[in-house]
Amino acid sequence: MSGIEMTVTYTLLFVALYFEIFLLVSFLEKRTGRQVIRPKTQDAWLPSTCIVVPCFNEEASIGSTLSSLLALRYPADKLEVIVIDDGSSDKTLAIARTFETSPQVRVRVFTKENGGKHTAMNLALANTEAELIGCLDADSIVEADALTRIAQVFADKKVAAVTPGLHVWKPRTFLQHIQNVEYRLAVFNRFVFATLGALYVTPGPFSIFRTSVVRELGGWRHGHSTEDLEMALRLQAAGHLIGNAPGAAVYTLTPEGLVGLFRQRIRWTYGFLRNAVDYRHMFMSRSHGNLGLITLPAALISIVTALYFFMRIVWETVSAVLETYARVQLTGVFPQPSFELFYVNTSAMWLLVVVATSIIFGLICVGSRIGTGRHFPPAATPLFLFLYSFITPVWLGIAVVRVMFKMGVNWR
Amino acid sequence: MNEEIIVSERAARWRTYAIAFLITALIFATAFWASVYFNDRRIAEVRSAQDNISIDILSLETQFDLLAAHSCRDISENSVLSREIHPLGEQLSYLETQPSVNQEALRSLKRYYSLLQIKDLLLMQEVSEKCGLKPIFILYFYSNKGDCENCEGQGYTLTALSQMYPQLRVYSFDYNLDVSALQTLIQIRNVEGSLPALVIKDKAYYGLKTTADIEKIIPELATLKKATASTTSQTR
Repeated sequence: MSGIEMTVTYTLLFVALYFEIFLLVSFLEKRTGRQVIRPKTQDAWLPSTCIVVPCFNEEASIGSTLSSLLALRYPADKLEVIVIDDGSSDKTLAIARTFETSPQVRVRVFTKENGGKHTAMNLALANTEAELIGCLDADSIVEADALTRIAQVFADKKVAAVTPGLHVWKPRTFLQHIQNVEYRLAVFNRFVFATLGALYVTPGPFSIFRTSVVRELGGWRHGHSTEDLEMALRLQAAGHLIGNAPGAAVYTLTPEGLVGLFRQRIRWTYGFLRNAVDYRHMFMSRSHGNLGLITLPAALISIVTALYFFMRIVWETVSAVLETYARVQLTGVFPQPSFELFYVNTSAMWLLVVVATSIIFGLICVGSRIGTGRHFPPAATPLFLFLYSFITPVWLGIAVVRVMFKMGVNWR
Repeated sequence: MNEEIIVSERAARWRTYAIAFLITALIFATAFWASVYFNDRRIAEVRSAQDNISIDILSLETQFDLLAAHSCRDISENSVLSREIHPLGEQLSYLETQPSVNQEALRSLKRYYSLLQIKDLLLMQEVSEKCGLKPIFILYFYSNKGDCENCEGQGYTLTALSQMYPQLRVYSFDYNLDVSALQTLIQIRNVEGSLPALVIKDKAYYGLKTTADIEKIIPELATLKKATASTTSQTR
C-alpha cells in the first residue's frame, strides 16, 4: 500500500469505527438515563388519527394490510383509514372498496390518476380532520397495539413525527433472511438516532405525523422518489422533533430477489444523495445538533467508505487472479493452496476490520433485543456480515452514477 | 425487553463525542500494537528456525570432518536441511510485504538466511566432491528494490521447479544485501548487476528463464524426473 492509500484506508476505517462507537456510547448513555426526554404518557389521551394506505396494483397484499389496520387496538371513533388508489390497473380498488362497509373503523377509498406516493398522501391530507396522519404502505401490516404506542408520544407538543419498529414480514428467501438482519440493525440505529434527536428518515410503513405540522410545511413532496426521507429532513430543518417507538411493531414485505432489492436500494440511496444536496446546509451545522454533526455526514461517508473498500477488494482480487494466471502461464504449475498460522493476516487494517465487524454484530444483537426482546440475533447474521459488504456497494455505486448523470429512479 | 419510546433534543453533547473518540483511538492503538506484536513473534519464530538450521549445519560439518568419506551416505541422504531452509525464504518474503515489521530485525534475518544458504552450499559442494555425487545447484540472484521487473516471475519459476524436482537445490540471494560473504560469492561467480541472474554449473544466465529454458540448460533434470517417478511408483 502506498502512503496515500494507507492514509485514506485508515482514515475511513477510523471514521467508520468512530461512528459505531459513538452509537454504542450514546446507547449506553441513554440506558443510564441521561439526555433523554421521556414523554409523559397519558393513556386516556389518544389523538384522532388518519392512516393513509396509498396503493398502486397491490391486489395481493391490500387485503391483509387493511385487515391489520381494522384490528388495531385504538378507539374506533378516533381512527379513520383512507385508501388512495393511485391509478391501479388490477383489483386493488375493488378489494379496498369491500372494506368501506367495515363496522369497526371508518374506511374511505379514493381513486385518482397515478401520480406517485406524495400525491396520494396529499390527497388524504386534504380530506382528513384528524390530528395525526400516517401512512401504511400496502405491502405492510401492523401489530394491534402499534398505534397506541406511537400516538402517546404526541403528548409531547414538540414531537412532529414518530417512527415505528420495522421488521421483515415472514422472511422466506435467502435475501429476505439477510434483510431481516439488516432491519434489526436498523431498529438499533433508529433507536439511537432518536436518542440523539437525529432521525433523518420517517419510513413509509407506519410513521405517524402531526397533521398540523405537515400542513404548515406544505404537505408531502416528491423528494426524489423518497418522500419519507425528504419529509423527515424538512421536519428537522424546521426544528421539529422526530421520535421512535421500537415496540410499535410493523412488518413489511421485502424484495425476494436481487432485482427487486437492487431497485429498492438504488432508489433509497439515490433519494438520500439528491436530498443531501437539497439539504446540504444541514451538514456539519452545529445548529442542527447531532443530526448535522454526525448522523448525516456519517451516512454520506459510509457510502464513500463502502465504495472505496469494495473497489479495493475488487482490485486486489483481480490482481491476484491475473498474477496467478501469469504464474501458471509461466510455470505450467498451479500454486498449491495451503494454510499455515505464520501467514494469517494480522495487519492493523484487518484487525480493525474484525473489530468493526464484531461491533456491528453487537449492534445487531442489541437491535434484536430492542425490537423483539430476543437475546440472539437472526441465524442469517454471519451471512449478512459477510455478503452485504459485497452486495451493498453495487447499488451504492449505481445510485451514485445515477445522481452524477441525473438519470433518476423508478419506484418499480 | 421492548425499549420504551424515545424522543430527544438533538443538541450535541461534546462529552459523548470525546468518549467515542478516546475509545476509537484506543482501539486503533491496540490494533497497531497487536500487529507489531504478531510480526515480532514471526521474526522470533524465523530466528529460532535459523538458529536450529545453523546448529544442524555445524553438526553436519563436524560429523563430516570426523568421519570423512564414511559419512557420505548419512549426509547425502540428509535432504532435511534444504527442506527446512526453503520455507524460511518464503516466510522472509512474506515478512517483507508486511508494513509493521521491524525493518532492522528483518534485514538481520535476511543476512543470517543468506549466510546459512552459503554455508549449506559450501557443505554440499564439499560432500559432492568427496563422495562423488552430482547434485544440481541453482544460485538465483534477485533484487526487490523495484529495479528487477522479471524477478517475481523468476521466483515463481524456480518455486515450481523445486516442486517438480525435490532433489534440485535452489539458493536465492538478494543481490543488494550487505553481507560480505554474499558479495564475495557474487564476485567469485562473476554475477553482474543485470537481474534476475541464475548461476548453473558455474555459468551465469541473465534475464527471465522459463521452466523449459532451465530444463534445457540442465538436461540431468530429466533423469531426476524419471527417478522421482520411479520412486513414486515404487512407493504406491
